[in-house]
Amino acid sequence: MLRVEPEPAAPRPSPPEAWYLNPTLHLVLNCLLMTVSELLLKKGATRTARIPAPRWLEWTGIMTLGSGWVLGGIAVYILAFVNWLYVLRWIPLTIAYPVTSVVFGLIALGAWWLLGEQIGALRWAGIALITAGIVLCAQPAAAAEEKL
Amino acid sequence: MTPLGLALILLSQVALVAGQVFLKKGMNELDRKPRRRGRVFAGVGAGIGLLTVWFLVWMGLLQKMDISYVYPFQGIGPVLMVFAAMVFLREKVDWRTWVGVALIAVGTVLVAINPASAS
Repeated sequence: MLRVEPEPAAPRPSPPEAWYLNPTLHLVLNCLLMTVSELLLKKGATRTARIPAPRWLEWTGIMTLGSGWVLGGIAVYILAFVNWLYVLRWIPLTIAYPVTSVVFGLIALGAWWLLGEQIGALRWAGIALITAGIVLCAQPAAAAEEKL
Repeated sequence: MTPLGLALILLSQVALVAGQVFLKKGMNELDRKPRRRGRVFAGVGAGIGLLTVWFLVWMGLLQKMDISYVYPFQGIGPVLMVFAAMVFLREKVDWRTWVGVALIAVGTVLVAINPASAS
């Protein structure tokens, strides 16, 4: 008798042992890279805001490409994307994606510290809520790791 | 908010969530034996394509609308993402994850509210 086997669920190999290949470390790294990239892009965009673009390209942010800050931001963004693929290789999307929300808070903090933007009470409250939410989302992952 | 604006916001969020699900699907194929390279590239390629759609639509929205108006919609991203990963990737979702993404959604709205324009 021929038995039709259901497609086997992918057996999860364990992630590499080396500390610099640790998926959690790379998830944290991804959040930092995304934040740095956004701040660089914002800095460059502000600096090039007054340079007129050719009329037919006015609707794009094309003139920002002349800024070294923006080019640096794009380079970091590409790095973050490659790093994100590595994170996805090992961490479930239901955990990895919510954790990246920390970037919203980090950008606000970075903009306050480096770009001199103000943070009001509401925004602080938001940052606190996001942080609490991330800690909750990371709980199941931490528990699973302990079991290994 | 115009119906078109709302439709574009929804389109951008759907493209973002679908893009991430395809990226993850492609990377999950790396663990399947025998490994089918075509499926890895198809997943990651579809993911990059959808994220490009998201980026273009999102940039257009940012140009036409007030940032404090569109940014809160990014907050529903994690909620949609967890739902999509549960349905399409069969990931198990812990109850703490649901509470967590709800807090993140509210927090994102609070961060996005511009105190200057609110007062």
